[in-house]
Amino acid sequence: MIQLSNVTKEFDGKRTVRALQGVSLQIRKGEMVSLVGPSGSGKSTLLNLIGTLDKPTSGEITLDGQLLSGLTDDQLTQVRRDKIGFIFQFFNLLPSLSCLENVALPLHLRGWKKAKASERARELLTLVNLDHRIEHLPDELSGGERQRVAIARALSVYPPILLADEPTGNLDTHTGAEILSLVRDLHQRLGATVLMVTHDRSVAESCARTIILRDGQVVEDINREPRL
Amino acid sequence: MMLLRLISWPYVRKHLLRALLTTAGIVLGVAVFVGMHTANQSVLYAFNRTVDRIAGATQLQVTAGEIGFSEDVLERVQAQPDVEVAVPVIEATVQTGIAGQGNLLVLGVDMTGDRSLRDYDLEKADDTIVDDPLVFIAQPDSIIVSRQFTERTGLKLNSKLTMQTMQGPRQFTIRGVMNSEGLASAFGGSLAVMDIYAAQLVFGRGRRFDRIDISLHPGIKVDDARRRLQSALGSGFEVDTPSSRGQQFEAVAQVYSMNATLTSIFALFIGLFLIYNTFSIAVTQRRNEIGILRALGASSGLVKRLFLAESAITGLIGSTIGIGVGILIARGLATYLGTFFAEVYGVGEKAQEVSADPKLLLSALFIGVGTSVVAGWLPARNAARVDPVKALQKGRVQVITEGESRLRRNLALLLLAGAVACATLGHVRIFFYSGYMLNVLAVLLLTPALCIWLGKALRPLLKWLRPVEGALAADSLLQSPRRTSGTVAALSLSVALVVGLGGIAKASYESIRSWMDAALSPDFFITGSETITQRSIRFPEELAGEFRKVPGVEEVQAVRTARILYSGTPVMLVAADLRSLAERVRLQVIEGDGATMYKRAERGEGVVLSDNFALLRKVKTGDVLELPAPDGMVKMPVLGVVLDYSDQNGTILMDRGAYKKYWGDPTVNAFRIYLNAGEDRAAMRQKLLDQFGGRTRLFIMTNAELKQYITNLTDQWFGLTYVQIFVAVLVAILGIVNTLTVSIADRKRELGVLQAVGGLRNQIRQTIWMEAIAIGVLGLAIGFALGAVHLYYILEVTRRDLAGMRLDYRYPFAIAATLIPVILGSALFSAIGPAETAVRGSLVEALEYE
Amino acid sequence: MNRLLAALLLAAPLAAQDARTIVDESQKRSRADSQRYEGTLEVIDSKRKVTTKKWIYERLGSAGESKAVLRFTAPAEVKGVALLIHNHPDRASDQWMWTPAVQRERRIAFQDRRTRFFGTDFTFEDLEERDVDRSSYKLLGEETLMGALCWKIESTPKAEAKSQYSRVTFWIRKDNYVLTQAECFGREKTDKLVRRIRYSDIEKVQGIFTPRMFEVRDEERESTTVMKVERLQYNTSMPAERFTLQALRRDQ
Repeated sequence: MIQLSNVTKEFDGKRTVRALQGVSLQIRKGEMVSLVGPSGSGKSTLLNLIGTLDKPTSGEITLDGQLLSGLTDDQLTQVRRDKIGFIFQFFNLLPSLSCLENVALPLHLRGWKKAKASERARELLTLVNLDHRIEHLPDELSGGERQRVAIARALSVYPPILLADEPTGNLDTHTGAEILSLVRDLHQRLGATVLMVTHDRSVAESCARTIILRDGQVVEDINREPRL
Repeated sequence: MMLLRLISWPYVRKHLLRALLTTAGIVLGVAVFVGMHTANQSVLYAFNRTVDRIAGATQLQVTAGEIGFSEDVLERVQAQPDVEVAVPVIEATVQTGIAGQGNLLVLGVDMTGDRSLRDYDLEKADDTIVDDPLVFIAQPDSIIVSRQFTERTGLKLNSKLTMQTMQGPRQFTIRGVMNSEGLASAFGGSLAVMDIYAAQLVFGRGRRFDRIDISLHPGIKVDDARRRLQSALGSGFEVDTPSSRGQQFEAVAQVYSMNATLTSIFALFIGLFLIYNTFSIAVTQRRNEIGILRALGASSGLVKRLFLAESAITGLIGSTIGIGVGILIARGLATYLGTFFAEVYGVGEKAQEVSADPKLLLSALFIGVGTSVVAGWLPARNAARVDPVKALQKGRVQVITEGESRLRRNLALLLLAGAVACATLGHVRIFFYSGYMLNVLAVLLLTPALCIWLGKALRPLLKWLRPVEGALAADSLLQSPRRTSGTVAALSLSVALVVGLGGIAKASYESIRSWMDAALSPDFFITGSETITQRSIRFPEELAGEFRKVPGVEEVQAVRTARILYSGTPVMLVAADLRSLAERVRLQVIEGDGATMYKRAERGEGVVLSDNFALLRKVKTGDVLELPAPDGMVKMPVLGVVLDYSDQNGTILMDRGAYKKYWGDPTVNAFRIYLNAGEDRAAMRQKLLDQFGGRTRLFIMTNAELKQYITNLTDQWFGLTYVQIFVAVLVAILGIVNTLTVSIADRKRELGVLQAVGGLRNQIRQTIWMEAIAIGVLGLAIGFALGAVHLYYILEVTRRDLAGMRLDYRYPFAIAATLIPVILGSALFSAIGPAETAVRGSLVEALEYE
Repeated sequence: MNRLLAALLLAAPLAAQDARTIVDESQKRSRADSQRYEGTLEVIDSKRKVTTKKWIYERLGSAGESKAVLRFTAPAEVKGVALLIHNHPDRASDQWMWTPAVQRERRIAFQDRRTRFFGTDFTFEDLEERDVDRSSYKLLGEETLMGALCWKIESTPKAEAKSQYSRVTFWIRKDNYVLTQAECFGREKTDKLVRRIRYSDIEKVQGIFTPRMFEVRDEERESTTVMKVERLQYNTSMPAERFTLQALRRDQ
């Protein structure tokens, strides 16, 4: 499902920083993978590359059989639209839109009819157990609830790939665990491929596979039986 | 100071363009203020300097309006014990017939004695020739010109120079050249001196003088002498210092001044909103930074002061640039205003250098900085209220504006109520102006609320246009009324300004056009000079009879126009054959009995006033005017008021008989000639020129030419208005650019999220574009409404205090309609840049943007 | 012409010590009922440039109450320009100027009499006659000037005379009471020498000692006017009517 071969990413500044150095890895469809590593190890960069938010300096990335190199920005957006759902650490909800509107936003961007989009958004909010908060604004929700809205938004088109950047990083342990179990639950139910960047050891270990990055390189790739 | 450098400067540097755009309003406001007033002052200064140069050592001048007085007044003046030297003067403006040299101001003076008053600074080298006043006086064709003039024209001593005189073109001999200082430097050297008795002859003055220049015995106070002379001569004469001529000019320029002040107030208002807007957003964006500062021990007062200092500096920079721009504007304007010289002297003088008054600049600086600080006040207060704990928590937005908007709305409603109350008391000046102010303020305070209402109304439309982008754009507007309302307010102010200016221009044009159709009925207008405002060359009355004898001429009306002083203000006295005029001209009657008032005026029972005279001087039918005539005050009852726009300061219409009787002046400025029906105008004009052109200087304007001339004058008058409209539109556009730049920066993350969740670049672009257009629409809608109110007030101001013109309220739909594509187009245009920045920037960065 | 000119036109030997008496005597000796001459003036300016003018001078009546007409005859540009002077014993004279080209007479205002008389080095004031009593006199001593022994007398115009000069020094020959030199001092600031008039070529005409040559030197402008007196006649008969404005207008 996700395939990286020899991906390198450099950031040009006053001094060139090599965030990723020749990373190659393969994530199969339906896998739930956690990506760990110390600050600056390149996990977020890797996630952004896979999420088509950024382009690698060299190397190739293939998503669901589609090679990303050579695509224009709009083509990349098209890929992102169809295949990827994002969950951010800071939720990145639009504060002026209600939960329903936030969730329906990607659908609107895809040109869905309002009724159809709302129906789907409701469905998704029910899925994340927020059917009672549909008309609320993000400001009126707790952190966990917001993240659930964000997850619902990420799932709006049932993308085959779900990318999460520290989804529990901004939440307390209890809420974090709740969100995590929600993600796992959705993963099982919807069969999406999940790649999750995390600092949290327990979060990482809850995934069947953990990739450890250090200084822009994959240093370890652990496969384990998922704990239940 | 350290904080400013460490904290503020990096932020400004990062947003340099935005910072510059923010100052735009201040720049323009200050620029218009400084430009207009500097131009005014410079022209006034140049004017006064010219007056000084011409006046020489003259301490007092005796005049009787433009009418002049008989020679024996001179001896009466000379007999006064205070008077040391009194010399007669005639001023006339002539054309030289030399291409590109324009007019020459000819000063007729008594060469036997005048030299003690004026230093002609004749060239030493030619002393014996030039300095031979005997030859000079013996030969009436003698003139002295300035060195500059000889240099420009290549003429030399004893060269011949042809000038247009009342006796037709005549040759003069240059018998003296003045060095280019003092007197000779007035009007850039376009000045000539000749013997006064010769001048009487060639300029048709008979045995009259225009003026007497006086110097007093040493030690006598000018003011005391003025009073004594005035009482000795009687009220038919004006005894005043030469500089009072400048004061008359000031009165004319005042109209411009007031106009410019109004515009600069608007521009500053607009600037206020731009700054408020930018600072509000800056406070939101720098929340984190403020939090850190607070965490490090900065008090909330310090934070507030920091932001206030920033706004003060913004104001300072804006004002400084504005002053620079203003001085540049002043240069252009000074030339423009210089045309007023022609009104007074017949010779235009440019302000040679534009010199700005330090006091003016200081007050401009103060106004600019003040405006900026006022604008920064609320944002600074909000910055001070930032909670350090919350601010340092990433991803949380502190909402601090809820109460403020309600307060604002209530205040707005209160102001509106006040405005309505003032409107009912509108006849009292102070209430009238306060009402105006309150109205504008109320609308501005209501802008956020209006933005929300209108935004909601607009949403379906935008959505219908582009379901996704439209809705997003509308939501963006609705979500942050604070961000939007600043621009919308600025924009609507600009639009209102344009509507007001456009409305008054439209109304004026319409009024003037209908007046011209009523008043200007003759086929020909015969004048002694190309410009009808030039009254220094006059015809003998007898010419009327001769014109009448020409076959094809049906009727001739002799008209004498002269400026006289009515309680200190120069107004226009029009002496005409009222019987004939009443038959031919149908001026709209405002007061009095149209059927009888001309007849009564014809019998010398009184005068008819123009509407603007009545309004500006606050007189009505039945009042008695006291007019200065040579033998004392002439009391003339007002018989009626008619609509007439001949003169900006008002006209007094009087029968020629009465004028001749009281003023003893039989000369004529202009003849109005009616031809028999079916006469060929071109042929008639040629015939008249052939018959009379040889012996007297005359210009024949056809009806159409005169109307065109007046239209051109009107255009010129409104030229400044169009400049102001242009400035207003420019500010509006800058305002939109500013807000969008700021708004996009503010929403960088939001736009990133949109893209992250699948927004295509075109969708983002279109969202921004539509938002821009929506802002434009809101600004236009509110502006059109505010403009309607503004126009009402500015028409009232014009009627009451400026021109006394009774103008109809006509909403300038054409201009309003033109504004729609202009504003929307520039909104769209100014959105292109920010939109591109938004879609081209790094998404990763945008998402992390804080 | 001026009181100095007038003064110099008379002469009679008489021994007198008192300054006022000397001046009085000098005037008395030059007295005549009428006078006529043709003057040729040469004005030599600081650049040595020379302009020439001619006039005919006629005077009726004696000093103090005389009337005079001065008519320019050359150069052509100024021909016909005339000056009419009515002298009064108790006040400044009335002067009118006639310019034929504009057919106008103009009054020379009292205020203007310090101005130069049309390009010569005389002023209008120098052209009027004044009564002896309008100045006070002081004998400064005796001096030899141009080979003749002279009284040196200082004359100070009284306030009511409103002269442009603060004082004038005369040199009057002891032998024939003819005025040979006058130095005029200005009023402004310092009393500086502004004008010096020399009288020479003294001849006895019809019993009156008369200088035939005047030299006026304007010290400020460094310009000199030399006038030659020709065809001098005393006591010819002239109709009083000739000295009126009407006459001026008529016989331009």
